[in-house]
Amino acid sequence: MAAHPTRRVVLTAAAVMPLAVASGCGGVDVLSAPPRPAPDVALLRSAIAAEQLMVARYINVLSAARNPGATPAARRGGSPAALSAALEPVLAEHRAHLAQLRSRLIVPAGAAPSPSERAPAAPAPPAAPAAAVAFLREAEQAAATAMLDRLPQAPGSLAQLFASISASEATHVPVLDALLLVTGGTGG
Amino acid sequence: MSRYATTVSRSALATTAALQSALAAEHAAVYGYGVVGANLAGSRQAAAMTDWVAHQVARDTLEAMLRSRGAQPVAAAVAYQLPVTVRTPGQAAALAVILEDRVATAYLGLVALSSASIRQFGALQVRAAALRAAFWRGSTVAFPGLPASALTAPRPQKS
Repeated sequence: MAAHPTRRVVLTAAAVMPLAVASGCGGVDVLSAPPRPAPDVALLRSAIAAEQLMVARYINVLSAARNPGATPAARRGGSPAALSAALEPVLAEHRAHLAQLRSRLIVPAGAAPSPSERAPAAPAPPAAPAAAVAFLREAEQAAATAMLDRLPQAPGSLAQLFASISASEATHVPVLDALLLVTGGTGG
Repeated sequence: MSRYATTVSRSALATTAALQSALAAEHAAVYGYGVVGANLAGSRQAAAMTDWVAHQVARDTLEAMLRSRGAQPVAAAVAYQLPVTVRTPGQAAALAVILEDRVATAYLGLVALSSASIRQFGALQVRAAALRAAFWRGSTVAFPGLPASALTAPRPQKS
């Protein structure tokens, strides 16, 4: 908790920086438009949107596993209990990523929430458990890579958070590989 | 010295210091994995051997990076005090987890530097350490390498 006010101050200062720089290089009306958010705010928002998407994907796969439809594909392979037992801890980690990313985002008072702050719509996962797990596996790999692509533009401490989250997502891939063996990956 | 030159040399010093920290963590991992492997058998021992080699390769890479910057790489200690007693396979795995967590934390130090290529290198090494740690731990964690003190307490969520 002690670190929180410090981060707030730092990020708020970063958000105000463009104004200070602009006024330094010759006359800007400080009462005109509010300062545009710093580039790392846009970076943070895209990371938040990506994590929201991952959370939504897991929720969709888990709820499909709990309520298998009438389709034969959904009934084939792996018990819902085994799927839930393996996926719930991974979902919890994505929720932790999301909470941590959100805690770094300081929205100025009165600012409208950006569209990316609302949960993006996740496409429906494949019905067959094995295909759903393969779908999550691909999503994890893409998310881990996309998180690394955000490193060069990020301030140091945010880059460290991105790198750690990317590494965590990379460790989910072997978990899903093991689950594919249980759900009958070759048959899906 | 100009302000620009001061900034550059400060950044160079920070890079060298972070590389030396990562190297020190790799030296400790190379030593530690010897103990890990000695307490395992079969496929688990083979896995420890593979990871041991990976740490040797990473150590050599870091030493080359430091030399190319004109810095003298830190030497390995003759012996290391192990953070846990290792007499069983379970304790060996626990030591491997500790070694990997420390290595991951050290590489996160590189990720905070200004050079994009060093950040990328650090991030890939954090990932490699996280994958090895997950194997030995038998489970994953949300923030590999990040100490709890680096995480902010989450605010209450509306959604």
